[in-house]
Amino acid sequence: MKLIYPLLLAAIVGSANAETPKQLADAYSSEAATQSAGFKPSGQRGGAFFAKHFAVSERMPACTSCHTEQAAQPGRHAVTGKEIKPMAVAANSERFTDLAKVEKWFRRNCKEVVGRECTAGEKADFIQFAMESR
Amino acid sequence: MERILVWDLPTRLGHWLLALGFALAWLTAESENLRLVHVAAGGLVVSVVVFRLAWGFVGSTYARFESFVDRPRAAFTYVKSLLGERPAHFTGHNPAGGYAILALLALALLAGITGWINYQDLAGDWLAEMHEAIASAMLAVVVVHLLGVAVGSWRHKENLARAMIDGCKRGRPEEAITSARVAAVITLIVCAVAGTWLLSL
Repeated sequence: MKLIYPLLLAAIVGSANAETPKQLADAYSSEAATQSAGFKPSGQRGGAFFAKHFAVSERMPACTSCHTEQAAQPGRHAVTGKEIKPMAVAANSERFTDLAKVEKWFRRNCKEVVGRECTAGEKADFIQFAMESR
Repeated sequence: MERILVWDLPTRLGHWLLALGFALAWLTAESENLRLVHVAAGGLVVSVVVFRLAWGFVGSTYARFESFVDRPRAAFTYVKSLLGERPAHFTGHNPAGGYAILALLALALLAGITGWINYQDLAGDWLAEMHEAIASAMLAVVVVHLLGVAVGSWRHKENLARAMIDGCKRGRPEEAITSARVAAVITLIVCAVAGTWLLSL
């Protein structure tokens, strides 16, 4: 968590879109590396995580329940039916450019869909997946 | 002095509906599963506030704004008197409580409006941030309001929370309102149901 603080501070002090997805993935990766040495983010692991049925929530068993399996396509909220902008950075340049916002939504959605907070490694993999998705 | 009827029924029911709506909205704020409950709770809050604003002009004596909106100085004088030997007692709202009511109504309305605009996807993240800040400010005023009720109840030896349930406070018989305005509850309920539905679309 320690390595995240400087970035988090910068996000709060600075304006939105202060970061790039790469910077965020790197920051989460360095944090993950303190737990497991030599951690490298993997888009493949991130994609598997994205599609995994955690089945904690009935209506939102997986990330894909709302974001759909096509990360480059707009999603659809499973409860309200409202459109959600694409997760893929290639389709939505605003994705993963604001650490405070990224932390907020990982916190909320991980708690509800995964049933716990996501680890730094999972976050790094997820962002890597969003960067690689076309 | 005896216990006399001070709060009409629409004022009391509106109060508890507002409290319920805010509590529900606060507790469901972070959940996507409960997003529709959150939106409905916000709709209820806005509907009750709109009714209350009108009721502040046409309601019974102590529900009217003119009976409790006073200069800021009056609120300070009242709070100071609470700390003294003989706290000033008001049959209706005290002037400090009056400001809490105005703040709560304004913040509830703002929270509802910003929330609705967000739900319709009509603005960016900045408005979502503002919505959260307004709701947090409202929670802070709720805490101040509850502290005020606790201190007021203690200093006046009068259960003010109970007064918001049965409508009775200490006062002279001639100060009592003559009717609980039961019929207007229908207007409140119609307003609450219609508003909650409309704002949830």
